[in-house]
Amino acid sequence: MEIRKGQDPVSPPVLDEDQALELLAYLVTAARTQIDEAAEYGPLRLLTAARRLGAAIAPRASAATAEFVAGPLAAVPELAVPRDGREEYTAGLDELCRALAGHLTSHFAPDTP
Amino acid sequence: MTGTPEGKAVLDAIRSRRVVRAVTDEPVAREDLETVLDAGRWAPTAGNRHLQRFVATDDPTTLRVLRMVSPGMLQHPTAAITICTDRPRAAAFGFPPDATGLHVDVGTAAATLLLAAHAIGLGAGPVTSFSRAAVGVVLRLPAGWVPEMIVCLGHPAPVTPAPMRARPRLTWRDLTTWVP
Repeated sequence: MEIRKGQDPVSPPVLDEDQALELLAYLVTAARTQIDEAAEYGPLRLLTAARRLGAAIAPRASAATAEFVAGPLAAVPELAVPRDGREEYTAGLDELCRALAGHLTSHFAPDTP
Repeated sequence: MTGTPEGKAVLDAIRSRRVVRAVTDEPVAREDLETVLDAGRWAPTAGNRHLQRFVATDDPTTLRVLRMVSPGMLQHPTAAITICTDRPRAAAFGFPPDATGLHVDVGTAAATLLLAAHAIGLGAGPVTSFSRAAVGVVLRLPAGWVPEMIVCLGHPAPVTPAPMRARPRLTWRDLTTWVP
């Protein structure tokens, strides 16, 4: 499995099979455990997956992607759940989504005015 | 406060133990792992039945795969003890398949393992968010052994993730109701 950087078909892969399998296993087993777990763990598990994916691809990703991983993504507290301060938690995730969207736009459509 | 110095040491250990979610790469000595396991043997069990079994590993590959199928395992432990319930053995005592009382003994075993690890300077953290089915395969568990909790072990790292939430520290009074 090769997930390549950007749209350049000859760019080096940013994720190898072992890393991809690790994430795949996490996602599949998290789907199962979430059935029995508190619903508040849902976003936590997804964000953990995003962190792990980010950590895996950052060393071989573009500088901008690595910055997103090390910046907005890493800024989300690892163990945060929406239990206390739901509004603040939601606002933080919205901010992360905005930062992600900004990075996606510049990554995939750098010429967009 | 009444009690012996040894008793005070026990209370100090109870109060100072924390869940450790970040550990170093330093392996856990087999002797230390055995010390923790020996403590687990002394955990109280209902009816002195000992229906729990401990599956220990310090193999890096097994630990890596175990972590892959355990979404709640944020740490990278260098050893792990999985507390299993021997369901066929429980059934032999007359427990139905859905008996919840068996979980109590998992809890007492876990508390004992966590304290024992703390007593010898290891960091320990419990994990219950894992695929029972997958862990059974990874650990090659005998039929009928149900993995209930993984106690992750390692040498505490200097930096640890922030707690799940900041909250005022509870006292025993917050948790206790007196009745006449």
